[in-house]
Amino acid sequence: MKSIPLPPLNRRHFLSFAALGSGTVALAACGGPSTAPPAEEEETDLDFEGVTPAAAIEFWSTHPGQSQEVEKALIEKFNSSQSEVQVTLVTAGADYEEIAQKFQTAQQGGKLPAVVLLSDVWWFRYYINGSIIPLDGLIEQLEVETGDYRESLIADYQYEDKQWALPYARSTPLFYYNRDHFKAAGLPDRSPTTWEEFGEWAPKLMNAGIPGLQTAYQFPALAGYAGWSLQNHLWGYGGGWSDEWTMTADSPESVAAIQWCQDAVFKHKWAGVSSNDASADLSSGAVSATVSSTGSLVGVLKAAQFDVGVGFLPGGPEETDPVCPTGGAGLGIPSGVTKEEQLAAAMFLKFMGEPENTAEFSAATGYMPVRSSADMTAVLAVSPLIGTAIDQLDVTRPQDYARVFVPGADLEIAKTAAAVLTQPGDVQTEMTKLKETLESMYQRDVEPNLA
Amino acid sequence: MSTTVTRPERALSRRNLAATVVGGYVPLILTTAVVFLPLLWMILSSMKMPNEIVTTDLAVLPAQFSLENYSAAADKVPFGQFFLNSTIVTVTGAAIKVVLALLTAYALVFVRFPFKRLIFVLILVALMVPPQVSILPNYILITGMGGRNTLWGIILPGLGTAFGTFLLRQHFLSLPASLLEAAEIDGAGHWRRLWRIVAPVSVPSIATVALVTIVSEWNEYIWPLIIVDDPRYMTLPVGLTLLRNSEGDAAWGILMAGAVMVIVPVLIIFAALQRYIVAGLTQGSVTG
Amino acid sequence: MSRVHTEPLPPPADPSGSLSRGTAKRDNLKNSAGSKRRFSPRARREGLVFLALVLPNLALIGVFTYLPLLNNLYYSTLNWTLGSSNATVIGLGNYVTFFTSGDAPRVLGTTAVFTLITVGGSMVLGLLIALALNQRIRGTTFARSAVFAPYVLSGVGVGLVWLFIFDPVYGVLAWFLRGFGATSPQWINDPDLALTMVIIVYVWKNLGYCAVVYLAGLQSLPKDIMEASQLDGAGAVRAFWSVKLPLISPTTFFLLITCLLSSLQAFDLIRIMTPLGSGTSTLVYEAYLQAFGAFNRAGYSAAISVILFTILLVATVLQLRFVERKVHYS
Repeated sequence: MKSIPLPPLNRRHFLSFAALGSGTVALAACGGPSTAPPAEEEETDLDFEGVTPAAAIEFWSTHPGQSQEVEKALIEKFNSSQSEVQVTLVTAGADYEEIAQKFQTAQQGGKLPAVVLLSDVWWFRYYINGSIIPLDGLIEQLEVETGDYRESLIADYQYEDKQWALPYARSTPLFYYNRDHFKAAGLPDRSPTTWEEFGEWAPKLMNAGIPGLQTAYQFPALAGYAGWSLQNHLWGYGGGWSDEWTMTADSPESVAAIQWCQDAVFKHKWAGVSSNDASADLSSGAVSATVSSTGSLVGVLKAAQFDVGVGFLPGGPEETDPVCPTGGAGLGIPSGVTKEEQLAAAMFLKFMGEPENTAEFSAATGYMPVRSSADMTAVLAVSPLIGTAIDQLDVTRPQDYARVFVPGADLEIAKTAAAVLTQPGDVQTEMTKLKETLESMYQRDVEPNLA
Repeated sequence: MSTTVTRPERALSRRNLAATVVGGYVPLILTTAVVFLPLLWMILSSMKMPNEIVTTDLAVLPAQFSLENYSAAADKVPFGQFFLNSTIVTVTGAAIKVVLALLTAYALVFVRFPFKRLIFVLILVALMVPPQVSILPNYILITGMGGRNTLWGIILPGLGTAFGTFLLRQHFLSLPASLLEAAEIDGAGHWRRLWRIVAPVSVPSIATVALVTIVSEWNEYIWPLIIVDDPRYMTLPVGLTLLRNSEGDAAWGILMAGAVMVIVPVLIIFAALQRYIVAGLTQGSVTG
Repeated sequence: MSRVHTEPLPPPADPSGSLSRGTAKRDNLKNSAGSKRRFSPRARREGLVFLALVLPNLALIGVFTYLPLLNNLYYSTLNWTLGSSNATVIGLGNYVTFFTSGDAPRVLGTTAVFTLITVGGSMVLGLLIALALNQRIRGTTFARSAVFAPYVLSGVGVGLVWLFIFDPVYGVLAWFLRGFGATSPQWINDPDLALTMVIIVYVWKNLGYCAVVYLAGLQSLPKDIMEASQLDGAGAVRAFWSVKLPLISPTTFFLLITCLLSSLQAFDLIRIMTPLGSGTSTLVYEAYLQAFGAFNRAGYSAAISVILFTILLVATVLQLRFVERKVHYS
């Protein structure tokens, strides 16, 4: 109590205050975490034989890719397809970070959803904290055809031979360009094969006298997911944020890749950095090309007043294939809800992954159909560009551990990106600093928790 | 606003006029413009179509004054519900706080008790505890009480009122002692004295406390942000952030429509009753 | 402006109080009467009435303001990930981490820059506006209300409006700059500019408060002194520096402390305009980010909150001391 400083009071007042304080000490300790050594690790009961699914469950989503309408429609379809389970859609945040904050704080004793949307950088933390359950038993019991899920998408959620989530709103970055601008600059109607090639194109775009053009290329917003799309540049040069658990952000290859990005902004001055949404910058005609999630595709097509082109991500001098990361979000089931809710949740997960449902979701947003057998012909007839995004799935590469498995790493990466892409900071220095930060974060938050 | 240049009382020389304009009106007009132009821009933008906003070819006025952004905002998130929640939280919270402040201040000034000064200090010190410091512990406490995603969960932790108590106490101390002496001789109890004598003569101060409380309850952000994640219980400032979508386009028009709904009600209340609000918020400033 | 609050100041007869004007006389009167008959039935009844009136408020303040302080103190000794039900006691470990990692210079530096510039900016501009308002010309009443208005508006709403204005692609500011052939600075991405942006908006929102308080201070100055200084032939500027400024120094000190306290607690604008806190992580925001942002380090966040609270406490004690001594320069 003494450590609470007080303004000058006389002694009697102070003592009575102290007495008041000590009375609340008991209260003070309640509600927080337990500091007792953890009891013998209890084997979570994952046997769902004979469990009746809960009648009503909540699904927490951020409606990625403006998917609120299609999510509502799919839930409606699920609710009327059977009589056992009714799902309610809850908007639990505006982006992956907000929903994660809500989910994490709800662990502290709040009401948890039965199904939660989890992004590529969050599910592993939930696994470390024990906040989600492995789905294998449920998958078996409900006969979910995991074999039909796209391998690169479902494998992202496997750890220790267990499946921790199922893919849902999965995306890759995609190269978007303004076909009118490309035409005006006399460029071929395709995405560049390498970034060096784009480096030759960019001055032509800048000099083509396009009205309203600010820069030929727009880097995605740093506050969003800079660490995600920059992997493309890093891998093209043979670098990366990390090689498994070895941090490689300061390797000569990584530094060269980021140096190239910095030169595009400060030396050659044909690239800018988006402040909130690169795909909107493209739609407005302020930039000729950008890299953005496939989940932005439908939005861009709606907003743009010109012909939009899309293509694979360009490669680099060392590597041209595969240089495209996967990303986006999956669906998981919290450990803190009843088995009845978990079973009901799994039924909903299975439903959302049915080929026709994932096709419908994909058509409405531009996210990838998660099932190989999803029939996309109707969708492709309407917007053939989604085909490019789907084709690119065959040349994707799993993300660097540093970005997806180290809690908070994405934020540190974004800070470094800001220091070199919006300020002319020394790339080598900043990347070395980043590497050291990532290493200490790994040692603090991940290493002790790895089985 | 008043843009008509009127004559100062003193005799006008040409030089004097110039000095009045440069030293008097130019700063005033400039300041007023700096305050109002951003708000005007908000209102204009809230009526623009997306292609008038996501463009590098900006026009000041919308092509046509459209309310589409407002209906789009209402489609995307339950804005009517937010408005209702904000109103309930504000009215209930402010009403209870004013009553509590009135009771406490009355007791501190007019009822005899040995540890009055200590209690007053305890209340006063609470004024300087930043609400941000209590978020995590209060989150755990309220959640434990089942208050997450409820309106009472939003209202309850903020009910204890140090500010209102302080302000009303100061006012009560300025009341003439003779006011209550007669009532005391008549044998009127405290309850009667409070409601029949003290409250009626303190209406301006109570109004000040009420208005300041209403404004701050309406604008409250961090606590409702943490304790509510279900849109059915969100207040306007929290709901507003839901309009920002992660991978959608930059929906500034819709966001501005949302901002209008949060800002304009307070602006109207302020315009009507600014005298009391300014008095309350600057209370205690002129001490010497 | 309304003069509700400017009742005359009683002499500071009260040794410990000094927290308010006017308490002394009445309380002393009551105490001397009450203490002699402390245990009379009447006094006991009075005591019960007092408790009945005060306890609801006091209990709420205790549970939701004081208790969290203690809880925070306790949490700050834990290595605890929000979302996990287990934690280990690490004593002062969180504090050691804060001061030995790069966090202390970064966060304290940002806090210092943000606080100094917002407080200084609001006060200097506020004083200038107050001087402009303190003239016998039409429209000052309206202008006074106008300049105060942003102070009562929602930080969330205001933050969004300004974010839109500052947007380097669609913002009206960028549009103006393009008109002059310049490109917009990277207000949102560049950490230094992000801090600048938040500071500008914060000052915009708060300078009206300083202006109105300064105006009240100026208007409470004795007229004869003002006129005398004018008659002396002292120029307006000299009169300001040598007469007005010293005379309103109590107002300046009051504003210094209140603005300092509110700047140190700024949250809404930072959260809305720079959600990731890149370049804008002041103590308050860092505490929020550590617990509820990407890191979920609840214990560490609690430690930062305790540090923040200590700073606020020092500032408040300074204010109380000052009021006690009643510094006057006249």
